[in-house]
Amino acid sequence: MLLIHCPYCEEARPEVEFVYGGEAHIARPLDPSTYSDEQWEEFLYIRSNPRGRHHERWRHSHGCGRFFNAVRDTVTDVFETTYKAGEAKVKELGK
Amino acid sequence: MAETGVEIAEIAVSAAELKLGTEPVECAGVRLSRAEGKVRYSLRARDPAVLEGVLGRQVPKKIGDTDAGIACLGPDEWYVVLPDNFDLPRGEGLPVSVVDVSSRALGLVLEGPGALTVLSSGCPLDLAKLGVGRATRTVFETVEVVIWRQAEDRWHVEVWRSFATWLWNAFIAAMHAAK
Amino acid sequence: MSGFRLADGGRVDRRTKRNFSFDGKAQWGYAGDSLASALLAQGQMLFGRSFKYHRPRGILGAGVEEPNALVTVDRGPGRMTPNLRAPSVPIYDGLVATSQNRFPTLKTDLIAVNNMLSAFFPAGFYNKTFMWPRAAWEKVYEPIIRRLAGLGDSPTTRDPDHYDATYAHCETLVVGAGPAGIAAALEAAANGGRVILIDEQEEIGGGALADPAQWAWLAEASAKLSAMDNVTVLVRTTAIGHYHQNFVVAAERLSDHLSLADAEGPREKLWRIRAGEVVLAMGAIERPLVFEGNDVPGVMLASAARTFALRYGVAVGRKLVVMAVHDSGWRDALALHKVGVNIAAIVDLRREIAPELVEAARNAGIACYPGYAVTSVTGSLAVKGVTIALAGVGKGEKLECDAVLMAGGWTPTVHLWSHAKGTLRWDESLGAYVPDKTHENLRCVGACAGAWDFGSGLAGGLLPAPKPLHESKAFVDFQNDVKARDIGLAVQEGFRSIEHIKRYTTNGMATDQGKTSNLNGLQIASGVLHRPVTEIGLTTFRPPYTPQSFGAMLGHHKEALFQPLRKSVIDDWAADQGAVYENVAQWRRARYFPQGSEDMDAAVARECRTVRSSVGIFDASTLGKIEVVGPDAAEFLNRMYTNPWKSLEPGRCRYGLLLGEHGFIIDDGVSARLAPDRFHLTTTTGGAARVLNMMEDYLQTEWSDLDVWLTSTTEQWAVIAVQGPKAREVIAPLVEGIDLSGQAFPHRAVREGQIWGVETRLFRVSFTGELGFEVNVPAQHGRMVWEAIWAEGQKHGAAAYGTETMHVLRAEKGFIIVGQDTDGTVTPDDAGLGWAVGKKKPDFVGKRSLSRPDIVAAGRKQLVGLLTHDPQAVLEEGAQIVADPNQPVPMTMIGHVTSSYHSATLGRSIAMALVAGGRDRMGETLHIPMPGSTISAKVVMPMFYDAEGSRLNG
Ligand SMILES: [Zn+2]
Repeated sequence: MLLIHCPYCEEARPEVEFVYGGEAHIARPLDPSTYSDEQWEEFLYIRSNPRGRHHERWRHSHGCGRFFNAVRDTVTDVFETTYKAGEAKVKELGK
Repeated sequence: MAETGVEIAEIAVSAAELKLGTEPVECAGVRLSRAEGKVRYSLRARDPAVLEGVLGRQVPKKIGDTDAGIACLGPDEWYVVLPDNFDLPRGEGLPVSVVDVSSRALGLVLEGPGALTVLSSGCPLDLAKLGVGRATRTVFETVEVVIWRQAEDRWHVEVWRSFATWLWNAFIAAMHAAK
Repeated sequence: MSGFRLADGGRVDRRTKRNFSFDGKAQWGYAGDSLASALLAQGQMLFGRSFKYHRPRGILGAGVEEPNALVTVDRGPGRMTPNLRAPSVPIYDGLVATSQNRFPTLKTDLIAVNNMLSAFFPAGFYNKTFMWPRAAWEKVYEPIIRRLAGLGDSPTTRDPDHYDATYAHCETLVVGAGPAGIAAALEAAANGGRVILIDEQEEIGGGALADPAQWAWLAEASAKLSAMDNVTVLVRTTAIGHYHQNFVVAAERLSDHLSLADAEGPREKLWRIRAGEVVLAMGAIERPLVFEGNDVPGVMLASAARTFALRYGVAVGRKLVVMAVHDSGWRDALALHKVGVNIAAIVDLRREIAPELVEAARNAGIACYPGYAVTSVTGSLAVKGVTIALAGVGKGEKLECDAVLMAGGWTPTVHLWSHAKGTLRWDESLGAYVPDKTHENLRCVGACAGAWDFGSGLAGGLLPAPKPLHESKAFVDFQNDVKARDIGLAVQEGFRSIEHIKRYTTNGMATDQGKTSNLNGLQIASGVLHRPVTEIGLTTFRPPYTPQSFGAMLGHHKEALFQPLRKSVIDDWAADQGAVYENVAQWRRARYFPQGSEDMDAAVARECRTVRSSVGIFDASTLGKIEVVGPDAAEFLNRMYTNPWKSLEPGRCRYGLLLGEHGFIIDDGVSARLAPDRFHLTTTTGGAARVLNMMEDYLQTEWSDLDVWLTSTTEQWAVIAVQGPKAREVIAPLVEGIDLSGQAFPHRAVREGQIWGVETRLFRVSFTGELGFEVNVPAQHGRMVWEAIWAEGQKHGAAAYGTETMHVLRAEKGFIIVGQDTDGTVTPDDAGLGWAVGKKKPDFVGKRSLSRPDIVAAGRKQLVGLLTHDPQAVLEEGAQIVADPNQPVPMTMIGHVTSSYHSATLGRSIAMALVAGGRDRMGETLHIPMPGSTISAKVVMPMFYDAEGSRLNG
């Protein structure tokens, strides 16, 4: 069971309190009607699915209730960092 | 031999037959009881100051802190457990949410030196490190609970009504196992 | 009859005898004996039959690595545990153990004929032979194989035991309580942090238990540990697996070592331990040597013989030959000699051996054969002698003996290290993989780090032999009966990676996960391939470290506590009325209320007629509810739901349809606006948590500027639906402060007031097509209000009705149930709910998808009604629909039945279905092929009763 640092609770908490929320930083367009079918397909279904660093969303459902973002290595399952929803994407290690 | 097939007897006590106790149960240095009837509210606000204005009282600002029956469970969420007929103003039109959830949950109380052992049997948190006066939403096995440490050896557990029967009996099972 | 109890020595309590039975025969041992040591002391050498060939097998090891001596322990009905390793089973008075995989007895096993035919059972035999025909596999091959190649029998009755479980937290967890583990625990404990020390054996000590020189130290360390408040020592506890971030799961055996009379409380306890640091001190396992006849009972690990003698006071034979390639074999031989075990000879493949070892052996009168190898073993049920030859070449010479000890070097126990995704490094000098790097706060100490003090030796277990490999009967994996030649064959057939060789030969795939066979298999493959070990790869260790009972995995989640069963506050009342229940998500709901001898059909017909003719009362408390509060509440709902919400006035309700962003229906429900900034939403029973999570997602991550908050109120409100022409008359005497008249309180309105003295949110809504109310009251008063309504209802002939009647009534009106009439691929238009989509709304969740090419394409499955030509034929829900029943098989299926009932009101069956292009098929006859017959039905609009809706206004 993973330990996940919740950026709101500022504590590492057990995985069973969390729900996974898929890839992060895929914002819903402000006006979806301007999207072409291809763009909309991209938004709905196309995900990066990397081997390694993955930006993803988690929700501390059985804790503070907040959605937040994380960078996790999909090979080792090690969390590089977690940060609040709305904060800028953590591009590189330590930045 | 496997060829004879498998016969599975009925379960002695089924989940449907579990009862939520009304009287306290004591075992292995732990006392399990029902908390008194309570008033419960779920409070939400982006800005705690607005909420304080509506309520006319302070609310704790740090997640996990409690103050006079109000626990801060999230950055914009407070949970109120009060003993009396307490009616909070709703703050109509203001950017706050005040919702009466008095009937939603029941309170169970674990007391005594073995209480931590019983809670730890199903709660994955390191509860020894949850200070007196702290509260948190978490899980006991698969059931969501709010655990409120009211004294060194007194733990108040809030659980949604329909899960209370299971939780009550799971606590008793853990108390018996701790004997 | 070879083994015997030494005159003294060992840690067993010679004053306390324990009586037990093995294969039905009375046996005895001393307190502190394992099943293996007690039986060896009685001269028993034969412990089991092998998996595939049913070859006679004896004890190989003295610990959990034992591959051969698997036994079943029978502790009464439902308490039969197969596949226990005899060296790990402590004896107690009344223990009943039996050997496995023999028919009818260990000594005369009829299936051992497999052994004579072993040339026909090579690697990949199962894959190659039983491919065809399929029917023969199911009827002939599989039953026979299961009979022949078994690992004990499954229990056939309910397990009467209960199990405990807990989480635990510590700063340091030490796995393995040998000298290295104990030292690590003492050191960590001195720092003041919480320390947990666990060991799978009956007492701590590990290797020190077989070394009397360390017993004084051990006693002292043990006392020190138990005196420390911050240290928890768990014995009989196996660390099953290491999971992320030092989460270690361990199973403690609490009562299996006790006689049934003494066994009280839970049988096992599952420890879920989160540790700051994990120290692995799991030791090392001695490696067998691979030579002809190495599986004859009496051939065992040298370390095992040492343990039996020094820990249990049992000699495994009267005349022993040691076959070593490692110094530890010499040390063990000398230790055995010292306690009176007769070592006839030490054979060592190495020509150069430390002179002090050779000298000590010679002084002890032990014949030494440097440069020799055992080339064969005589005896079938027990060792009678060995043939040894210089460098394994030539005819050699015979030595008489009744036991052969193998000292093939050591394999660090890196299982948990590997679970943690720690990398391994090949150490050529040790001939083993040792721990290298990890991203966990994890370290190995002692022998499992390769740091042992029992000398050095050759790396590689395959001894030179006069016979070519493909003729040899030298075993690598004892439990799965894999021979060295099977590995050779796999390589010859083209397998190169050890992962493939493993699966083809099944080497290392038995219940012991290859604890004694993996490295020998790897090195043999390496030799045949002429490639270094490191290029062949390494198989992966996975939890559990040793086989584990399901009971401990379940912990408290057993029987009544298996999972929470949610009941509404009215459930007890329904039980008193004899309700029959069904489970919906975690809830149990009253399905129908039979009276007298009514079956479900009769009860549902009566309940339906009562609702349509007078009034019915229904517990709808499980409906999901969400309170949406804040200045932006209407704006938020407008974005979430398909239909417009901003225009909804306080005091009014609306049916809301919720789509996923993909455009498909995921939930629905009627919701009310209580105040400009307060809505009372309802969701489906099963969708409550999912919908709340989805709404939170949008609110927090897409529209975080909105001032609105969501609170689950599912359990706050008990909901009592009162439906039928007499509904108003039933509640009228109970309600205060609400004008119930049709004008003041129209359909789809909500009012707040009091009922039976309790605050209520009263909805005028209908899921039946009748005049109806849904009474929401705080759950704590739900039962009381229900009874008041029930009592009032009796004056009007009211019936309580359950979910089955609710389903029939709504189907008569063509109302969908999300999840039954939809399946996650149904759009509003598909479901005939296009009217619920706000055409003028610029956006809502899922709107963009409704104009995707595949969503607007013709021929989508649409919800229609079906009326069978035979009005009494009730279609099967889920049945497939075809246009032409005479087309050849496989037919083109154009849809399926989603809901189907007998309607008492209409006196015939009704059904709803999703059918391709369904709305263009009105009046068409379609066909539903069923076993034995085909049912024909006419396509109609999904509205079977009161199409104009006049009854709503009763
Ligand atoms: Zn949190």
